[in-house]
Amino acid sequence: MIGFLQNLIDAVSLGSIYALTALGIGLLFGILRLINFAHGDYITIGAYALIVPSADVTARLLIGDLPLIVMTPLICLIVVVAALLSDVLVFRPLRRASSPTLMIASFAVSYIIQNGVMMLYGARPKAVDLWSGANTQILIGDLRVPMLQLIILVVTLVLMTTLTLFLRKTPYGIQMRAAAEDFRMATYLGVRGNLVIGLAFAISGILAAAVSLLYTTQSGSLSHTMGLPLALFAFVAVVVGGMGSLVGAVVGGFTIGIIVTMLQAYLPPELRAFRDAFAFAFVILVLLVRPAGLVPSRTSFERV
Amino acid sequence: MGALLTIDDVHVRYGDLVALRDVSLTVAQGEVVCVIGPNGAGKSTLLAAVAGGVTPWRGSIRFGDTEVVGLRPEVVARQGLSLVPEGRHIFGTLTVDENLRIGGFIHKGRADAKADYERLLELFPRLRERLNFPAGRLSGGEQQMLAVARAVMTRPRLLLVDEPSLGLAPRIVDQIYEILLDLRQREGLTLVINEQSSNRILKHADRIYVLRGGRIQLEGRAADLADGEAIRSAYFGFGSPATLEGVTP
Amino acid sequence: MRDFLIRHQTPALLVAGLVVVTVLGVLTGNETVQVTLTEMFIRLVVVVGLWVFIGNSGIISFGHIGFMGVGAYAAAWASAEPGFKQIMLSGLPVFLQENQYPFAFAIIGATLLPALVALLLGIALMRLAGTAASIATFAVLMIVNSVYANWDSVTAGSSSIIGIPTVVGPWVAVGFAAGAVVTAYLFQVSRLGLMLRASRDDEVAARASAVEVKRMRLVAFVLSAAIAGAGGGLYAQFLGILTIDPFYLGLTFITLAMLVVGGMSSLSGAVAGVFAVTIIVELLRIAERGVSLGALDLGLPLGSQEIGLGVLMALILIFRPNGLSNGRELVWPGAAPAAKAPAGRTLSPELTGDAAPSP
Repeated sequence: MIGFLQNLIDAVSLGSIYALTALGIGLLFGILRLINFAHGDYITIGAYALIVPSADVTARLLIGDLPLIVMTPLICLIVVVAALLSDVLVFRPLRRASSPTLMIASFAVSYIIQNGVMMLYGARPKAVDLWSGANTQILIGDLRVPMLQLIILVVTLVLMTTLTLFLRKTPYGIQMRAAAEDFRMATYLGVRGNLVIGLAFAISGILAAAVSLLYTTQSGSLSHTMGLPLALFAFVAVVVGGMGSLVGAVVGGFTIGIIVTMLQAYLPPELRAFRDAFAFAFVILVLLVRPAGLVPSRTSFERV
Repeated sequence: MGALLTIDDVHVRYGDLVALRDVSLTVAQGEVVCVIGPNGAGKSTLLAAVAGGVTPWRGSIRFGDTEVVGLRPEVVARQGLSLVPEGRHIFGTLTVDENLRIGGFIHKGRADAKADYERLLELFPRLRERLNFPAGRLSGGEQQMLAVARAVMTRPRLLLVDEPSLGLAPRIVDQIYEILLDLRQREGLTLVINEQSSNRILKHADRIYVLRGGRIQLEGRAADLADGEAIRSAYFGFGSPATLEGVTP
Repeated sequence: MRDFLIRHQTPALLVAGLVVVTVLGVLTGNETVQVTLTEMFIRLVVVVGLWVFIGNSGIISFGHIGFMGVGAYAAAWASAEPGFKQIMLSGLPVFLQENQYPFAFAIIGATLLPALVALLLGIALMRLAGTAASIATFAVLMIVNSVYANWDSVTAGSSSIIGIPTVVGPWVAVGFAAGAVVTAYLFQVSRLGLMLRASRDDEVAARASAVEVKRMRLVAFVLSAAIAGAGGGLYAQFLGILTIDPFYLGLTFITLAMLVVGGMSSLSGAVAGVFAVTIIVELLRIAERGVSLGALDLGLPLGSQEIGLGVLMALILIFRPNGLSNGRELVWPGAAPAAKAPAGRTLSPELTGDAAPSP
């Protein structure tokens, strides 16, 4: 029982990371019909921004050494700028392009960022010790809960609540929801398309920055492809949750987190190496039963 | 009366398909102009082109003194031109209240928008009762009313309404027309309305254009076309386009 | 005969072009040129396979490099030295462990196994809507990667399979490239291909039943996986040594870049893209290696090749969304076919981004 609870905590914490990532991807998809591959690389940028740019194997912290209250907004700012730049340079000229074209373009952006980071920082993974204070454990009964996992969960809940309030209560939030449902109609009513899209990129940048910090603290290492698996799992989370639904993205993220953690915990040892294959196969199974995802979007974005 | 909207020799193409050719049309301040034509005649394309949703391949569209060809829809909307598109395009997952407020966000002065909001709810008591409903759960007639109210929230000088009667019961259509004409009186609105049939429109419109196959087939004052014969022949394309005063080439 | 050639001039011209390039390449006698050519033709097989699905269905697939990997391993299982297989690949069926099969057999395996995998996965994936299906094809890539990287007794896991006869040179590769082009062309002009292309158009799709569209997509998916798998088989018998690492995102990116650069709405575009990207990548590679001017070493930093390719792809998408071919098929100047050109001319709004703005 304790073992199961322990696994559940792991699952929720991993699920939080996927959910935050999926939320950033889902938000952009909602408004732009863009499946943004580069989202994972925004996370990579946020993580590498912590250290001094050099090809050395040992990483020296730069922004990462600043107090939390300075570091967090600074990392957010850097990632938001990167996200907005990718919009202005690549996605804005493609505003009228189809969904597949946008997806391929974001694949190109991702490839450029990854190799750019590699050019600046070298190809080898680096160890970083971001916030060792968070790696203590607290005991709840017989349950050992790593402090960091609690922090991840709290941060995730705070971000989700803030985003929900923003989307529900503020004029810009309402405009974003309107644009997500019917972009053209929103612009007919004077909603500024590029502003709303820029906002979506900025918010997805902030979500990515949060994942950068949480994930780097947890893993203690950097690599130029670190964002990739996160983005891939988050894509699948978006599809499993139901494309076009933000609630779906969150549900999908937690579902994937739980599946991956539980497979890791309960697969027979000789099959554990195949965890990802089982996870993705399971996803295909889910889709076979529910092609529209777990939380089908009320506005159907796509036909066949 | 000066022309509020001047459409001059507009062509619209979708790839190889020509949707509008040589379309010229003027709307004077305070007029109610109706464009009638069969399904696929290019009526929706015409309104979308005016609202900035479709960029003509050739021609000019002036709204007041501004050339709107090439402007984005949100910029056109901010000039004081609002489109109620065919099929209403209500934001179904947003509440009625949110749908209405979207229209008002154009204006920086919040107080004005608030006053507009209250005034419109007076006009549409049905919407007031359902303010916190998701708009997708409204009936078709209510959705059409919401679409009109939402467009009026942007404080347009010119309101374009695409097939307001589509799929609605005659009684509801009457109500909607009543409200549109009422708005014209109260707010000094100029109206361009698309319809497939001329029955109802003849008594409300000042002038009528008949559009078929992407071309204007007939233009005239509603009073002169009251017997409906010229409209019918232009609409169905029997014989040559009827020539009345001021027919556009 | 003349009529036949004029009607089918596109594949005829493409194949002729491939043969001419090969002859020229072999005539140079330069080893590097021949190796580059061989690799390019193998990629051409894969890209044409990819095109059979993407070009006809309008759905982007990120999974085909997975099928290429499946094909490569199938060929390796058949053709590697029994001595190696018995020690390192003890999980293989005995008939594979104990025998060394000839090239032809290996390639058949490299074609059939990916087709079978694609059929099983495709039944699930083709139920999804376009964008969701694209993402799900990623799952295919991940599954293949995860399974092949870890199934030590069958794939040698993170170490490599060695002892595969290297029988693929420029001539064998170009033969398969030509075969792939002809197969893709035949599919394109077949009734099924025409219907599938038509189904990308909204109105036609609305009229066709969803079930039918899914079935047509599935056929294209399986056929394209088979072709990509054959490309994998060639790759294995070209390198002689095999790990799963190359069959991942890098190659996925390059093959998609080839398709985008050439123009994914025509077969000629797919072929042109392979040539164009190969040339550009080779030039960037030379630039990375740098030139020495006296005491000065001028060279682009490592990674420029990848960044250059990424930038090129983005530029093409923005400024020439139909690629170099502009969506057209290769035809002899002045010899327009009597019949209407195959569906290659009609551009799908889905792919070209020229979608008519909905009023």
